Amino acid sequence: MPIVELQKIRKVYDTKVAVEGLSLTIEPGTMFGLLGPNGSGKTSSIRMMIGMTVPDSGTVRLFDKAFDRRSLTRVGYLPEERGLYKKMKVLDQLIFLGQLHSLSEAEARKRSIDWCERLEITEAIEKKTEELSKGMQQKIQFIAALLHEPELIIMDEPFSGLDPVNAQLLMDTLVELRRNGKAILFSTHRMDQVEKLCDAIAIIYRGKMVLSGNMRDVKGRYPRNRVQAVFTGDDSFLKHPSVVESKNYAGIAEITLKSPDLAQALLADAVSHGTHLTRFEVIEPTLEEIFIETVKATPEYAEAGGKVDA
Amino acid sequence: MHNTWLIAKREYLERVRTKGFLLATVLIPCAMGALLFGTSYFMMQTKTTSHIAVVTTDNRLGEALQQRLKNGKHTDMQVDLYQPSDETRATLNSQLHTSKSKIAGYLWIKPPATSGERPVFEYHARSAGDLSTEEAIENVVNIVVSREGLLGRGLSAADVDRITAPVDIDTSSNGNTQVAFAVAYFFFILMYMVIMLYGMNTARSIIEEKGSRVFEVLLATITPDELLAGKILGVGAVGLTQIGIWMAAALAISSTQYASSLMGGGHGPVSLLQAAYFLAYFLFGFILYSSIAAALGAMTNSEQELQQLNMFLVMPLAFCMLMLFQVVRAPDSTLARVVSLIPFCSPLLMNLRTSLTYVAPWEIILSFVLMGLTIVAIVWVSSRIYRVGILMYGKKPNLPEILRWLKYS
Repeated sequence: MPIVELQKIRKVYDTKVAVEGLSLTIEPGTMFGLLGPNGSGKTSSIRMMIGMTVPDSGTVRLFDKAFDRRSLTRVGYLPEERGLYKKMKVLDQLIFLGQLHSLSEAEARKRSIDWCERLEITEAIEKKTEELSKGMQQKIQFIAALLHEPELIIMDEPFSGLDPVNAQLLMDTLVELRRNGKAILFSTHRMDQVEKLCDAIAIIYRGKMVLSGNMRDVKGRYPRNRVQAVFTGDDSFLKHPSVVESKNYAGIAEITLKSPDLAQALLADAVSHGTHLTRFEVIEPTLEEIFIETVKATPEYAEAGGKVDA
Repeated sequence: MHNTWLIAKREYLERVRTKGFLLATVLIPCAMGALLFGTSYFMMQTKTTSHIAVVTTDNRLGEALQQRLKNGKHTDMQVDLYQPSDETRATLNSQLHTSKSKIAGYLWIKPPATSGERPVFEYHARSAGDLSTEEAIENVVNIVVSREGLLGRGLSAADVDRITAPVDIDTSSNGNTQVAFAVAYFFFILMYMVIMLYGMNTARSIIEEKGSRVFEVLLATITPDELLAGKILGVGAVGLTQIGIWMAAALAISSTQYASSLMGGGHGPVSLLQAAYFLAYFLFGFILYSSIAAALGAMTNSEQELQQLNMFLVMPLAFCMLMLFQVVRAPDSTLARVVSLIPFCSPLLMNLRTSLTYVAPWEIILSFVLMGLTIVAIVWVSSRIYRVGILMYGKKPNLPEILRWLKYS
C-alpha cells in the first residue's frame, strides 16, 4: 500500500509553472529524498501533497485513498520556513500543536516531555521560545511534527542550519522511525546527506522530474567508471589512454575512465611506473555528479542559460 | 470546528495572560474614571471668584449687583463699590496694569441720559481672556437691570421674584427616547473604541503569525478559514472579556451614592428586550468588523501596510455616524430603513431604530441574516487571500491580483 501517490500533478502560479506532470510513489518504511535546486518546485509539490494548495490537474492520494483532509492527522510536516510562537512556553506550544493533530491534552503533554528527553532538551520545556537557541527551536519543531506518531513524515530541508552533532541526532531519529515502518519524505539540496539516508529519490528540476527511483537502481544506471587514487611518486599513469579526465589534488587523484573495465589496465600501468599507491578505488558516481549530469542533459537546462542553481 | 476552537483558545489564553492585558484592564478605567469624576467635581466646585470693582452713582443698583455677584448660583465674587470720578478711573486703570493688584476688572456704570432708560455698562478687564468673569457679570447685570426695571414700574418684590423665576420643563415622559439616544450614542462610542482597539488586534495577530511563520505548520492540519475564524473569535473574546470587566466595574461604581448624585436621579430603565438587542447587535457588529480586520491582516505583511488600510475600518463607522442623525430625525423613513439594513451599519443603526420606533420583526431578522452572511463571505474571501498571499510571499497585492487569487484554490 503506497503511502503517497502523486499522479501527473501540475501547478501554475500566474505565468510561472511551479510543478509540471510530477508523479511519484512512496512506500511505507522508506526514506524518500526529494532533490532539486532552490526554486525547482520541491516545496510546491509538498504543499500539494498535504492539501495546502490544490493541484491544477493530476491527483494526490494519501494512504491509498483519494486526498482527504482527515488523513492529515496521520501526517507530520516540518516546513522549510519554520516558526514558533515567540512568547509561548515550549510545553504549551507542543501541546497546542499536538491537539491540532487530534491528540488529547494529557497525551500531548506526556509525549512532549518524552520527546524532549529523547532529544536532550529537557531544560527547554518550561522556557519561552524566544529564550532558546536556534538549534533548540529546530528540535522543538521536529518534535512538533512527530508528536502524533504520524505514519507519513514530511520534512522540508530538515537539517539546514543545524550543527553536525544535532543533525546526526535528528538523522538517527529518522532512521529509527523508518525502521518502525514510517514513510519519510524529505527535501534537500544537500546531496551528500541523501546519499547515506535515502532508499529512493526523485530529482526535480524546474518543476519537472528528471530522475527517480530506488537509490541502488539509480546509481546502477550510471557506470562505475570513476577511480580515486591516493599515491606518491610518479603521476604519469594519469596520462594513460583509458583516462578521459583526471584531477590531481596533491596526491589524491579523481579519474574518469572511458569504460569501467579499464580500471585494471590503469592500475597495472601505475604499478609498472613504480608509483607508490596507498589507495586505488573504483567508485560509483556520487549523487551530486549524477544530479548535475542529469540536469545538464535536460532541455530546460539550456533554457535556463546553463545554470543549475544548486 | 474543533480546530477553530483550539486556535481561539490559544489566542485567548496567550493574550489574557500577558501583563499588558492586566495593565490595560486596570489602568484604562482608572484613567477614565479619574477624568470623569475629576471634571464633574471641578465643574460643581467651580464658581467665579474674581475680585472686581463696580463704579456707579446708583447705590441701590450697585448693592444689588454686589449682592448677586457674591452669592449667585455660580459666582462667589468679591465686589468693591466706588463713586465715579476721574480719580477713581485713574486709580482703577493703574491697578489693572500693576501685577500686584487683585482686581480682575472694573465695571463702569454710566447713568442713563434720560431717566427711565437703561444705564450704560462698560467693563474693563485685566485680561481679555477672562471669559467666565465677563459672562458672570453679564448674566447678573441682565437680571438686576430687569428686576430694577420691573420694580421701577411699581411691581412688588414678590411679584418680580415670581416673574423672573426660571421655568422648569417636565421632560420625564420623553425619558425613554433620550435614554435610547444616549444609549445609542454610548454604544457608538463603545463600538468605535472596541473596533479600533481589538479589531486591529485581530489583524495584528495574523500579521505576527506571518512574521514568525508558524502558520505553515498550522496549515498542514487546518484550513485558512478555520485559522481566521479562530483568530477572530479568540482575539474578540479577549476584547469582550475586557469590556465585560469594565462594564461590571462601571455598574458597581454607578450604584454607589456619589455617582447617582452626579447623574441627578433616575431615568426610565432600559427594557430587557432592548438590552438583548443591544447585546446581539454588539456581538454581530464586533465579529463583522473583526472579520474585516482579519481580511486586512490577510492582505498585508507588516504593521505599516496595515496602517495604510485601516481606513477601511473607520470609513463604515464614519458613514454610520453621518446617518445617525438622519435616523434619529426620521427613524421610519425609507432612507433610515434601507441604511439600517446595510450589514456594516445594522449593529449601530438598526439597534438605534429598535429603541426609537417600532421595527418590523422581518427587518430585524433580515438584518441579522445579512450580517451573518457578510461575516461568512468576508472570512471566505480573506481566507483565500490569506492562503495565496502567504504561499506566494512578497509584495502587497493589488486589486486585480486579489481578484485573481480568489479563483485559486
